[in-house]
Amino acid sequence: MEFTTVGGLLLWGAVVGLDLATIAQVMIARPLVAGVVAGWIIGDVQAGLIVGAILELFALEVLPFGAARYPDYGLGAVAAAATAGGAPGVFGIGIGVAVGLLIAYLGEVAIQLVRQRTAADVVSCRKVIDSGDFRVIYRLHLRGILRDAARAIALTGLGLLLAAAVRIAMPVSVRGAVLLGAVAMGVGLGTTLVSGTMIARDARGGLVWLAAGLLAGVAWVVVR
Amino acid sequence: MNRGRLAAATARLFLFQGSMNHERLQGLGMAVAIEPLLRDLEGGPAGKAYHEAIGRAAGFFNTHPYMAGLAVGAVAKAEHVGVPSQQVDRLRMALKGPLGSLGDRMIWEGVLPAAAAIGLSLATMTNPFIAVGAFLLLFNAPHVLLRWWGLRAGWRLGTDVAEALSHPVLQAGLKISGPMAALAIGFAIPVVAEWLTTGLDPTARWGTAAVGLSTAIATRWLVPTLGAARLGILVLAATLALGWLL
Repeated sequence: MEFTTVGGLLLWGAVVGLDLATIAQVMIARPLVAGVVAGWIIGDVQAGLIVGAILELFALEVLPFGAARYPDYGLGAVAAAATAGGAPGVFGIGIGVAVGLLIAYLGEVAIQLVRQRTAADVVSCRKVIDSGDFRVIYRLHLRGILRDAARAIALTGLGLLLAAAVRIAMPVSVRGAVLLGAVAMGVGLGTTLVSGTMIARDARGGLVWLAAGLLAGVAWVVVR
Repeated sequence: MNRGRLAAATARLFLFQGSMNHERLQGLGMAVAIEPLLRDLEGGPAGKAYHEAIGRAAGFFNTHPYMAGLAVGAVAKAEHVGVPSQQVDRLRMALKGPLGSLGDRMIWEGVLPAAAAIGLSLATMTNPFIAVGAFLLLFNAPHVLLRWWGLRAGWRLGTDVAEALSHPVLQAGLKISGPMAALAIGFAIPVVAEWLTTGLDPTARWGTAAVGLSTAIATRWLVPTLGAARLGILVLAATLALGWLL
């Protein structure tokens, strides 16, 4: 991977990681978006799209209520695209998703560490904050953002290292890679079925709408 | 209120969770967002009223980030009209739950999964960048509008901000977003399944379907607290081991 590609992915990882909760939340942290753009950066949009779409199926499970902890699937999609990019057919898909899920999970753990560290800052400055010293509050706020950016860049870097390691020593045969890809797709689709049911259950007449959607989807597949 | 300060507060709403932490959750974000609206308090930024209001705003707070504008605007207005400090604190605390609940149901359980599922379906039919663009547009049109409107409605209504929650557009959004999400996810499942498995041989396709059903059973009934990412890592690790043996 060229230096500019690595730089581009690290920068994109920072943007994606920050968008998860810290800045804007305009959903460029969704794996579909993160994967497609990461794929474009490495020159393989199709691979980025497929791993992004599979991780998006996983991400539909996430309902970020309150201060809930959840995997960082956007950073996972960047790592997954870097792993799967350039591989022929479905060869890199399964292993890419596996790397992506690992990074997503580590992202979840790292967010907790970032929030704990910020909480420690807040505790140590409690009196100054309560006195309404805006300069201190602003500085702590900025530090929280920078800490999250560092988390995102570090995890993207780790994802790229894992991607490079997989490229150098692909740990599976062609048959194994196809099996891994099929399993990744299956787990993603199964997760979406459950997420859809849970969301539908909470909406008025939701299960009927879900069933209607399923029928329309099947009809679309058959007709097309 | 000066338009520039409302615009500054609106922009800062996009950083509302910048210093999210386990001590005060969004408290510091609330103080950062509300600050431009408090500069006009008696004595200005050097005055006692400003510092006390900032200190109160930085206390524990947690709500849906897109709905936070309503709380920021209402609390700022309450500070401006001289509502007693204990009542301002009560207003802030009283808004957390209803705004959080409304935003969670409408956005996280409605608009987001609906837009994501539409984006996924479009990805199977068209250029990936069009699919991504459509997803971002479908999601962010209501998102940005909600942040923009929320701050202004909160500022206009002050302590009567609860009236804003019965706004017909908000109520309609609450009613239709859930069913829309269910419909869009339902449509996406077979369409995406067919698209993803197109290159696979029939055995692998049936295998994918079997894994999908097993996952649904596992995540719904057997290990519902495990979460999709952890389950995926475990299953793929096991498959990787099997693939290595193959």
